[in-house]
Amino acid sequence: MRLFGLETEYGITRDDLTEVDPVVESMELVRAHLTASFERRWDYAGEDPHEDARGFRVSGLAQDKEEDEFAARDAHRPFSFQDMKSDLVLPNGARFYNDHTHPEYSTPECRTLKDLLAQDRAGERIVQRAADRRNKSLGGEHVQLYKNNTDFHGHSYGCHDNYLVPRSIPFPRLVAGLLPFLVSRQVIAGTGKVGIEAQESGFVPGHFQLSQRADFMETELSVDTMHNRPILNTRDEPHADPRTFRRLHLIIGDANMCEYATALKVGTTRLVLELIERGAVPSLELDQPVAAVKQLSRDIDLKAVVRQKNGSSISGLDIQEQYYRAAAQTFAGLDEETDWVLREWGDTLTLLVQDRRRLIGKLDWVTKLWLLETFMQEERIGWDDPWLASLDLEYHNVHPERGLYLGLEAEGKAWRMTAEADIQRALAAGPADTRGAVRGLCVRRFPNQIRSVQWERVRFTGGLLPRTLDMSDLFEPSEVNRCLAIFEAAASPVDALTAWNERKDSQS
Amino acid sequence: MSYSTMPERRESPGDPMPKPGPTEEGGGPRRPETGSPEKDNLLKRMKKVDPKQAERYRQRTGE
Repeated sequence: MRLFGLETEYGITRDDLTEVDPVVESMELVRAHLTASFERRWDYAGEDPHEDARGFRVSGLAQDKEEDEFAARDAHRPFSFQDMKSDLVLPNGARFYNDHTHPEYSTPECRTLKDLLAQDRAGERIVQRAADRRNKSLGGEHVQLYKNNTDFHGHSYGCHDNYLVPRSIPFPRLVAGLLPFLVSRQVIAGTGKVGIEAQESGFVPGHFQLSQRADFMETELSVDTMHNRPILNTRDEPHADPRTFRRLHLIIGDANMCEYATALKVGTTRLVLELIERGAVPSLELDQPVAAVKQLSRDIDLKAVVRQKNGSSISGLDIQEQYYRAAAQTFAGLDEETDWVLREWGDTLTLLVQDRRRLIGKLDWVTKLWLLETFMQEERIGWDDPWLASLDLEYHNVHPERGLYLGLEAEGKAWRMTAEADIQRALAAGPADTRGAVRGLCVRRFPNQIRSVQWERVRFTGGLLPRTLDMSDLFEPSEVNRCLAIFEAAASPVDALTAWNERKDSQS
Repeated sequence: MSYSTMPERRESPGDPMPKPGPTEEGGGPRRPETGSPEKDNLLKRMKKVDPKQAERYRQRTGE
């Protein structure tokens, strides 16, 4: 079953204030997008970040001391929980809300990499459009948004990649198969970072590393996401029938600007999950995965080796090579998208060794390093110059006239899988072969009859009987198409639900 | 969509990188060739960035 999505928390700031209130700014940013009241009806039932995939439930989630203090102050603010979240469900089936003081855009569920990229790019447009509206009300271009993962002062925020996987795969098998892959995935998917930092600790300039998140990885497995961050998050929130599925929620990834890097990050991870399902992953077990994440990130020559439990050493590139070979051997010729991922994965690993310049505009860390080295030569400055961290930040600005990556892309120097028409389609509707399209269609067709929306259901208003569209097992494209046709043609949600339920009953 | 045609979707008229040559120290990406208008535009954009911007940039911890 292929289904994946990305959640991206954006950094937000105002350049006209010396003291920025991130709670208010993030709320106001999301509300600047608000075009109709129906969008604010997220259904929080069924969201439980305390459920752990290892088979237990934790009583609380860890936050650092500073965040505890912020949370205590937030409790006295004159906003309700719903006000603070300002949750919106968009006509393309995406979710846009304030998550922990960061505007977050969660793509609708996608089945193909091209749809995922289009939806991710649509997210950039949506948050920037909200910033434009907010700036208009402020009377200047004061609000800036960054698709990155650090503030260079020890505070990180995430870009999570999610995958629907069969619950029949034992969780320990997922962990064993994924850990070495995730530790080394940054050689392809890292966005690059100037300096070194750690949770709540200072910034050390003078270095360039592969990943923005590596410094913040503190443990191998954990249900936590804001403190004690794990390489593999164990949150068990399937957003689907829990008897059949789990949602793998990965928080180690960086927020990529390069489409190519996003496609490879998700495409290779999907193949590794399928390798695990088939019992075909390479036999690798790292001695200290958390230390290895940092060690590999801090070696831009990609020559660092990390210890395996069997006593041997291996480089990040060699770990990736072993996964690539297993995937190529198992999946070559399966379908067009799989072949594309395999070809580009193999080529990328080769180019990282032989001619890294050819990955500019494709991999973020390579592109950012190239820009910074060019600038350093031009300005005759060294790695310890604070200007470089500012340029690193500006690489991720999603303002089309300010962002460095977007500037590079505008000059045609970035590899693209999406065209403008793809992004415009993604702004208007969800991928036609996933339940995201159904969610978006309900929002567009029946905005005034929706009581609440969740990833797996839509509840409609009126009457005493439950009027809920249950999508917890709506994954087959043919069924999605049938459901879309019914909701497109029906005069009301009741008519649509009646027709859909009759169809399901006749099949059972 | 045909994945075999994806590289042709690149919006660049040509390879954005300079021609291959001897490996530079560290094996990293080479600097772009000087004098191209594209490079000058991007450098102008970079020079407009406030050197103190990252120092002032503060966020709260997210997920």
